[in-house]
Amino acid sequence: MAATSRPITILIAALGGEGGGVLADWIIAAATAEGYPVQSTSIPGVAQRTGATTYYIELYPARATELHGRRPVMTLAPAPADIDVMLASELLEAGRALQNGYVTPDRTTLIASTHRIYTVEEKIALGDGRFDGERILAAARALARRAILVDFHRLAANTGAMINASLFGALAGSGTLPLPRAACEQAIRSAGKGAEASLRGFALGYAAAEGKAPAPAGASVSPSDVTPAHAHTLMQRVRATFPAEVHETIERGLTRLSDFQDEDYAALYLDRLEPIARLEREHGAAAKHELTGETARFLALWMSYEDVIRVADLKSRRSRFERVRAEVQAKPGEPVHIIEYLKPGVEEAAALLPPGLSRRLVSWAQKRGLMHKLNVGLHLNSSSVTGFLTLRLLAWLRPLRRRSARYAEEQALIERWLCAIAAAPDAGLALEIALCGRLIKGYGDTNRRAKANFLRIFDTLVEGGAVGDAGARAQAIRAARAGALADPEGRGLEATLAAQGVAPLPPQAKIIQFMRRPAAAPKTA
Amino acid sequence: MERQFNAEIESLKLGEGEMFHGEGILAVTKALLQSGVSYVGGYQGAPVSHLLDVMVQARDYMDELGVHVEACTNEASAAAMLGASINYPARGAVTWKSIVGTNVASDALTHVASAGVLGGALIVVGEDYGEGASVAQERTHAIALKSSMWMLDPRPNLATIARLVQHAFELSEASNTPVFMDLRIRACHVHGSFVAGANRAPALSTRKLQAEAATFDYEHIPHPPATYRQEKLKMNVRMPAARKYIREHGLNELFAGSETSVGIICQGGLYNNLLRALQLIGLADDFGVSRIPILALNVVYPLVPEEISAFCSDKTAVLVVEEGQPEFIEQDIATLLRRADIQTRLHGKDVLIMAGEYTAEVIVHGLMGFFGAHAAHLDISAGTRWHETADAARAREAELLGAPLPPRPPNFCVGCPERPVFAAIKLVERDIGKRHISADIGCHSFATFAPFSLGNSILGYGMSLASSAGVAPMLAGRSMAIMGDGGFWHNGFLSGVASNQLNGGDKVLLIMKNGFTSATGTQELVSSPQDESAELAQDKSSVRSDRTIENTLRGAGVKWLRNVYTYRVADMSKTLREAFTTEEPGLKVIIAEGECQLERQRRIRPVLARLLGSGARVLRTRFGVDDETCSGDHSCIRLSGCPSLTLKASADTLKVDPVAHVNHSCVGCGLCGEVAHAAILCPSFYRAEVVQNPSAWDRLLARVRTTVIGWLQPA
Repeated sequence: MAATSRPITILIAALGGEGGGVLADWIIAAATAEGYPVQSTSIPGVAQRTGATTYYIELYPARATELHGRRPVMTLAPAPADIDVMLASELLEAGRALQNGYVTPDRTTLIASTHRIYTVEEKIALGDGRFDGERILAAARALARRAILVDFHRLAANTGAMINASLFGALAGSGTLPLPRAACEQAIRSAGKGAEASLRGFALGYAAAEGKAPAPAGASVSPSDVTPAHAHTLMQRVRATFPAEVHETIERGLTRLSDFQDEDYAALYLDRLEPIARLEREHGAAAKHELTGETARFLALWMSYEDVIRVADLKSRRSRFERVRAEVQAKPGEPVHIIEYLKPGVEEAAALLPPGLSRRLVSWAQKRGLMHKLNVGLHLNSSSVTGFLTLRLLAWLRPLRRRSARYAEEQALIERWLCAIAAAPDAGLALEIALCGRLIKGYGDTNRRAKANFLRIFDTLVEGGAVGDAGARAQAIRAARAGALADPEGRGLEATLAAQGVAPLPPQAKIIQFMRRPAAAPKTA
Repeated sequence: MERQFNAEIESLKLGEGEMFHGEGILAVTKALLQSGVSYVGGYQGAPVSHLLDVMVQARDYMDELGVHVEACTNEASAAAMLGASINYPARGAVTWKSIVGTNVASDALTHVASAGVLGGALIVVGEDYGEGASVAQERTHAIALKSSMWMLDPRPNLATIARLVQHAFELSEASNTPVFMDLRIRACHVHGSFVAGANRAPALSTRKLQAEAATFDYEHIPHPPATYRQEKLKMNVRMPAARKYIREHGLNELFAGSETSVGIICQGGLYNNLLRALQLIGLADDFGVSRIPILALNVVYPLVPEEISAFCSDKTAVLVVEEGQPEFIEQDIATLLRRADIQTRLHGKDVLIMAGEYTAEVIVHGLMGFFGAHAAHLDISAGTRWHETADAARAREAELLGAPLPPRPPNFCVGCPERPVFAAIKLVERDIGKRHISADIGCHSFATFAPFSLGNSILGYGMSLASSAGVAPMLAGRSMAIMGDGGFWHNGFLSGVASNQLNGGDKVLLIMKNGFTSATGTQELVSSPQDESAELAQDKSSVRSDRTIENTLRGAGVKWLRNVYTYRVADMSKTLREAFTTEEPGLKVIIAEGECQLERQRRIRPVLARLLGSGARVLRTRFGVDDETCSGDHSCIRLSGCPSLTLKASADTLKVDPVAHVNHSCVGCGLCGEVAHAAILCPSFYRAEVVQNPSAWDRLLARVRTTVIGWLQPA
């Protein structure tokens, strides 16, 4: 009993609060106005609170008047391999639709926005927990009968509309529904509120589906792309001594470090890198010169560690003020106050002092248990004259940085790291040690935790003899690095180390509070 | 309330022959009015919230009709409203989310079912089962069985639903029994149309008052010895009457098919999915014409033995398509067939899955097994091909993606006042260690998801404090219960606070006072802020002024009571620490105040627009992260989880890890900065205040500042 025609099935995957319900209503309204039997369902529930949700629509492609009183039975839930149009308001949700089998080569037109709204799971990773969007795009192109993959979010935002408008436009423009453009636009108009903006978003989406998407805006030039003239001689040195593949990274490093301290400091960077590059050549360098490149990357970041001087400097620059204005979408003529959330304490002060004084301050504070108790929460208005001057005064301490305790501490640890890279018996192991530089980041607690993880890996695997064979050691270090980035409590790291036979660290002491048992006896009835 | 139903209210007024367009649950609402309902009550919860919400908003029209509408504080009080139908010929309907709401209502339901009703009593339940469901998975069917209340499970199209609402009242009156109408999530939200009828004025209403109270009749009291008679009445009188009504009015629908040897019996609510499954196998067309005969049970309890026998007796095998476990209907049919000595083979949960939602795909699987065994002559190759296509697509996709996708559960909204509380709890736990936390139902249960992952148990709505009564005395560290103001009024005060006070419990109770039952669509509470205080609060939180919760607690003898504004993370941490460690005995209650951000935004948006339009100076606050100083560790996100605090690739290509970034959805609640301060995180956060419609003084100040700063500022 082959069906002569069948309902066109449309599944919309959206996030709560994106107007997926309104989109479904528009489709219903346009189809009803054109006389097509149509039905929609949804499962909003608490997913309205930012979770993933779906809307499902069936539209019968023959007008009710042509059916002679018969009514099609339409179903309430989507079935895999049974979807004609799959709309996704976000790339990961498109991936979810693919995962559930809702996109099949025999019939599905996939209309998906390529922008990402990261899930909490992706965001809380200590490193980079983002799902690789390229994989989803590749799967979409491979599995859809036709894939319309456009950043509909940006299209809509440019017109002041919500993403549902540009998606509706693309749906209308894709030619998958028997609904003329005018009927769709009328549905938007009839819905009232915000119709003008929605119609603009609709028009862009419609054009995008026809393949007339506006060209993406060119990548903006970040300040570090501009090479200061004074670093010119160092740049020449880079070209003379390092392989071409790593020039860009090293040049960025140089720019960063002369900006951080001075040209001598940038020269020190090259002095430190040269032996690594030489070593890589001796080991028989791989085509990409990964060891030199990655060491150059993390060395530059580490050498430009964020101290009070650096933060004050970065926060008081003109480029930063302009960036904030753009970020908060301030209109010309609207003053913008920028208030910083700073909470300096003993640690920050000690970092600036010379090592001897610093040690005395820290031991005084630790004895009294004041190490983390003297932090002062400041709301500094850096757009006011006094706030700005405070930041500039701190930034002007830059020449004193070389004498500070933190400087000495960081340089010692950097040297230890570089020595270990240089001492590695093969390039593979050297690279794994170099990549440990990624662990070093953050401020205060975060920085302390990061360094503790780094040192733990160094003490056990890099310098300690937990694993003998170089290949196995490289493997173990890679696993430990991933473990260190798995959770902030260090469980992942200890688990990977335990797999190598390293005894776990004793658990950290916690203050135990003893409390009186409640004396009150229960009332008797 | 989160949604405005102006258009929907208009469609409730449609007259005879006019076309109603809208959601399934609103079709029910319209059908109630067409049935001459006298009173309506309920407790909100997806997927039936709209029934009550629309009636509450349509108060004027309801007054005009004489219909009494009550937004009850819980399902028990809603169910107890049905008591009106015991003594009076008044039709009443109540609604809630099931299974949870039905559980809360059970005590009252048992009693109304025993006493029996004079006026039709209808209970519209949203069966929260399968995809999109948010509560523990159980069948309401079991409650109908044990209380001998009838259950309708209509085919999910608006005309059938509306028709059955009207029949439900008549069935209820014909058999003196309350009737459930069981609607699945998608059926509540299905958007379709039906031909409306005229609304009927209720026989008894707020406009047509009965002069005197009903005369005393002990037979209406579910007390012994009347209960012994009532128990027999249920089976000997009411059920036969119900069966007679169902049969005579053709409530169940038989769809004939050309096959004679096999047939399918399904719950009415599954009919459309079954039809799609048959279409996919190639055994049905688009208009419901199936080769296989189908008996669609719009009434799933009680079954009518004659209908079942007639359908089964001439077939070699019958399949029962019944969602959820255990297989009550299948067992019922098996008993009927066995007693009638009908030798038809019966299949159901042996070829279909025992537990979980019956999607078209699941049903196709079951049908293929059934046809394979009993109808080998049927060509079901289309089903095989369809399966292969779906499996191939999924396999190819898994291969191309390489890894499972991260899940996206619901979460706190941007700027939610509850999120900072959990940030504070996380910070306090760093110092004093993990504590036992009894969680509750409400938006705050999202804290059980990352990044907070807080909460050891959930025992039902408002049950958190009660659920710590057993565990708290056995733990060295003081334990904590969290509930919302919604949960407090739903059940928490009586089950939790009163019980704790009676037993002298030493616990911490944290009440989220955001002013509304936010998770269900921001309905009002007895402690919701009044309009005047909301007006006065302008863009500040408006929940401060109401003191109903505090007064209630003090009245119950709570001594240690603190109110903390949730966005002050440091204050909240301090108060939590004190509550956990103080020597003071008894219940320690922290009231975490902060208006629901959804409500606040809805409230202040027009206020701000008006101010801006009139040229008044308005400060717009936004938070941001300096990506130059952000090192990409994301500690801030692990303490916040705000949707507006997200990631972006660093502009500096040396940095491999993405940096934190505040996107344009930020409402400037201030949590980012508070957390950065309280946890001593990093200096990357800033607050930007954009002065809109700046005054002359603002402009002068800005000019002076820009000039002076310009002299000294590096690029």
